[in-house]
Amino acid sequence: MSADSAAAPLTLPNQGSGRRNMLERVVAAATFLLIVAFAATIDGFATTGNLGIILINSASLTVLSCGMAVVIISRGLDLSLIAQMVAGATIFGMLISGGVAAPLALLAAYLSMVAIGALNAWLIAYVEIPSMLATLASSMFIVGLFRFAVLRGEYLLLLPKSDPTVAFFAGRLLPFLPVPVALMLGTLMATWFLLNRTVAGRIIYAMGDNFQAARLSGLSVRVTAIVVYVFAAFTAITAGLIMASASGAVDFRTVTNGTLLFEVILVVVLGGIPLRGGRGGLRNIIVGVALIAVLRNGMTLMNVTTQTQDMLKGLILLAAIITDNYLNPRDAETDTAGDL
Amino acid sequence: MSTQPVIQLENATKTYGGIAALAGATFDLLPGEIHALVGENGAGKSTLCKLIAGVITPSEGHLRVDGEVVAFAAPKDASRRGISMVYQETSLVPQLTVAQNIVLGREAAFNSVRKVRNAARQVLQRLNFKVDPSQLAGSLSAAKRQMVEIARAVVNEARVIILDEPTAALTPEETDHLFDLMRSLKRSGVAMIFISHALEEALNHADRISVLRNGRMIQTGPASSFTRASLIRHMIGEDLAEQAPARPAANTRSTAVPVLQVENIRMGAMVNNMSFSIFPGEVTGIAGLIGSGRSEVAKVIMGHTKRNFSGGRIWLDGREVRYTLPAQAVADGIAYVSEDRKLDGFFETMGVAENIGLGWLAKFGRRSILAPRHRMRALADDWEKRLSIRRIGANQPVLHLSGGNQQKVVIAKSLSQEPRLVIFDEPTRGVDVGAIAEIRQIIRSIANNGAGVILISSYLPEILDLSDRILVAKSGTIAAEFSRADATAERILHAAVH
Ligand SMILES: Nc1ncnc2c1ncn2[C@@H]1O[C@H](COP(=O)(O)OP(=O)(O)OP(=O)(O)O)[C@@H](O)[C@H]1O
Ligand SMILES: [Mg+2]
Repeated sequence: MSADSAAAPLTLPNQGSGRRNMLERVVAAATFLLIVAFAATIDGFATTGNLGIILINSASLTVLSCGMAVVIISRGLDLSLIAQMVAGATIFGMLISGGVAAPLALLAAYLSMVAIGALNAWLIAYVEIPSMLATLASSMFIVGLFRFAVLRGEYLLLLPKSDPTVAFFAGRLLPFLPVPVALMLGTLMATWFLLNRTVAGRIIYAMGDNFQAARLSGLSVRVTAIVVYVFAAFTAITAGLIMASASGAVDFRTVTNGTLLFEVILVVVLGGIPLRGGRGGLRNIIVGVALIAVLRNGMTLMNVTTQTQDMLKGLILLAAIITDNYLNPRDAETDTAGDL
Repeated sequence: MSTQPVIQLENATKTYGGIAALAGATFDLLPGEIHALVGENGAGKSTLCKLIAGVITPSEGHLRVDGEVVAFAAPKDASRRGISMVYQETSLVPQLTVAQNIVLGREAAFNSVRKVRNAARQVLQRLNFKVDPSQLAGSLSAAKRQMVEIARAVVNEARVIILDEPTAALTPEETDHLFDLMRSLKRSGVAMIFISHALEEALNHADRISVLRNGRMIQTGPASSFTRASLIRHMIGEDLAEQAPARPAANTRSTAVPVLQVENIRMGAMVNNMSFSIFPGEVTGIAGLIGSGRSEVAKVIMGHTKRNFSGGRIWLDGREVRYTLPAQAVADGIAYVSEDRKLDGFFETMGVAENIGLGWLAKFGRRSILAPRHRMRALADDWEKRLSIRRIGANQPVLHLSGGNQQKVVIAKSLSQEPRLVIFDEPTRGVDVGAIAEIRQIIRSIANNGAGVILISSYLPEILDLSDRILVAKSGTIAAEFSRADATAERILHAAVH
């Protein structure tokens, strides 16, 4: 019965039992319709210039979503992602303002975020605190610490825009390739590689699919948790550098007002990665980001206020989930508890 | 009495991706009848039942209820017509209490917590089930979960109850109790279909038996017209030589050094003071009632659950070990085959190959960064052949395999780790006669090749056939030990109960 598979290497379908594929398709179709509608009604939407803007503007969101997606596939949640992002950027900003050489500042920023990622993983995998609580705690701690000890109660840290490293992150790698877009592509590729080609990637899916089974079969769930949360920390600091260099400031209100974190979770869930984990992959991230990026761009061009945009995003999330449930009613036997 | 069947399935075909799980099967169920459905793993038994229960719809053919053609879109349509199904894999909501689970879907009728609990208590009492209605479903043993599901069907006033392998997780007494209950439901006019791999159950308790093979209905007839041998012949299409697996001529305990030694293990309320030794080259059977702490001690040995503070000591090859994670036990060559494959056995979204490959990876991929995909695939193909695992497509998720094939995947996943000590926890649950013979051969050959084997089983004939030495567990301790020569079913049962 298995002759068909004699020589082929293991292909790894993690799209689950079909349920989530539908959401991905619904969202992809909605994105397509949205693009058509915007192109028809908004002047200057369907131009290469605007495409470039969409890409640059969604770079940090995409990078963060990669980190969050990996965490969620392993059946975790990282609520400290945005706090790590601003904290990492703050370290970098303080150091270069203080005259430290750029490579050293970058190294310090990355290393301290790796430490925070590892700390999250230690709390979750060794102390066995639920990921939501552990990362919530570390998020609050990070923000408090940085605002108190580093910013002395301020919300904002201005970066020297003239600094060559800051200018580099805001500039172009090649004439047609802005640095943020290059970093976004690099992160997407790294995510694909991690999930599909490495041992850790296989274990990430196994943990999300059935954590007890993964643990009991002897998979190294603890080491893998470290990989997961350190990877998330990497995406956080990368996104932080992109965002801070583009705006010339690190703003702690991105953490405290919470919308960015929700947006990242929205991207992952809309793309079709269920919160119960074990399912989904790179395609889902791209689909989710595409919808949000196009929506954001189109609405900004139409001068829709951010409040209205937020409302719309909430409605879209509900609509997508309801459509998905309608297309794929749960069945009593195969439904797993804890499904979204 | 009318002889109008309650259920008629006519030329029903169900295909998945072009391959027929059920191929033109015809089946009928008379009112007040107990109808057994037997067949090999993957023969299409569960598929046939799910068609009747409205879980899936036939690709061809149709279903009649009381003679009238129906097309169920969802299980709730079937339950409106009085058809309830108790699934092979339990479908209770673990976070809800027993009472809430029982009235699930009918909450409107019983809206307060107290009413819900009282209604549930009444049914449980009427059925003579000893289950506390306010307990969480997730904390129940397999046997009790089963009871709750039957109670749910009774509350739904089912006229037809379908039981998919109801006895797989039950002890002999619980099994007797279940069949008593089925007979009393039968007297009140309920028709029942049950699936079982224990052919004696079909022969002793059913009015009629139907045999499926490769999705086809091979034979239907009164139970008295079959024998065990004739059933097997219909099931597999040829005679099966059932014999106890070969073991070395003399008891060759080559060394006196045990591979595993546990002393005074204590863990919560389940395990108190277990001590025993396991020798290489031997199968050590651990008999006992459900809840006697056997699986729990296995999980302590693996490092999956924590023993109590100062809760005993464990030696592997004479070296004291204390695992805090099963990964360490696996690295040392211990493997555990879980008793509840859906709960902590397999990865449901993944295919056969990846499930087996992950087991291998846990032991041999610890130092690598890149997943050795060709290795994993080749290895999985090898195990698929050795255990004759039947699947439809190369990447068909394990969730969609038949129960018996899922079990084989879980076994292969552990054996791919080439362990020195294997703990089999109820290894033949839900596995067909042919595969039981294969799995027993495998267990025996692992021991014959020098590994230590612990066999936890509630099925005494299995323990007696395979073990070189038998331990009897009783409320968290080892109550007795028998050599193979002294062990009899009566003695083991006596030790397990008294
Ligand atoms: N959802 C599905 N998708 C694809 N194939 C399926 C699906 N459900 C069942 N099958 C296939 O249909 C065949 C029959 O399965 P079924 O579950 O009816 O077997 P069974 O007789 O109940 O076996 P067992 O005794 O092992 O439980 C199997 O080969 C199985 O892999
Ligand atoms: Mg079945």
